[in-house]
Amino acid sequence: MIHLRVEPDGPKNIRITGIDPVVLDSLFALPEVLEQRDKPGVRDRLMPPPTESDEALNTDWQQNVTPDLRHLFVTASETVLRDLTGVKPDPQAKHLQQLNFPAEHLNAWLSALNQARLILGELHHVTEADMAITDFNLSEPHGLGLFRIHVLGYLLEHLVKLAGGHETSI
Amino acid sequence: MPEPGTIQLEKTDAALDQPWNVIVRNDPINLMSYVTLVFMRVFGYPRERAERHMLEVHNQGRSLVWSGGREQAEHYVHQLHSYQLLAYMEQAL
Repeated sequence: MIHLRVEPDGPKNIRITGIDPVVLDSLFALPEVLEQRDKPGVRDRLMPPPTESDEALNTDWQQNVTPDLRHLFVTASETVLRDLTGVKPDPQAKHLQQLNFPAEHLNAWLSALNQARLILGELHHVTEADMAITDFNLSEPHGLGLFRIHVLGYLLEHLVKLAGGHETSI
Repeated sequence: MPEPGTIQLEKTDAALDQPWNVIVRNDPINLMSYVTLVFMRVFGYPRERAERHMLEVHNQGRSLVWSGGREQAEHYVHQLHSYQLLAYMEQAL
């Protein structure tokens, strides 16, 4: 059995192999998920105020910091969506895909995958109890959203591990 | 003029500038490994300390991750928001 693998491909690239149809489906859903970042509840989660009670600082933040954060999130998303156009068949198995992207895009991948998970979490009002569910009803939006949070989390976990390795080697 | 035997305290900017706490709240979505990585990157904490704060967030709902001057607190909250963590700052009591 071939598993998803995320590993350096030389010093300048990262290679993801063993992308099965389930992971691929969640990756190809990223554009429609990420474009919902400005929905009211989602926006508040991705770009929260810096204090719980200082209205002056919160207002100043919303005017001066939030636009930069949004730009950062959009840029990361665009980078990942461009990288996704490079998905190609994995030579190890016919039903699997692989993807190479520049190592300098790793932070964009961390950001975009995490954004997508948080967006899905807000859109489907996912709770701590929901996250413990292992039996997903994929025929309804909440179940599908929850399932994609886990699938994207599976890939994110691999990328975090790689990023952590880079951190300790610096 | 103060009464003899009393001390008049001067109000200074330093006296008014209490430290600010940077706090991270729990959310059900963020991966524990991801939160640990963010604490290592943003604060330069060693893995053990980053994991301790991550577990505090996970188990107790929040963790005070840093205290100090307001400007630096704003910088850290900005950094934590850029990693999509639920962070906020409040003046220490």
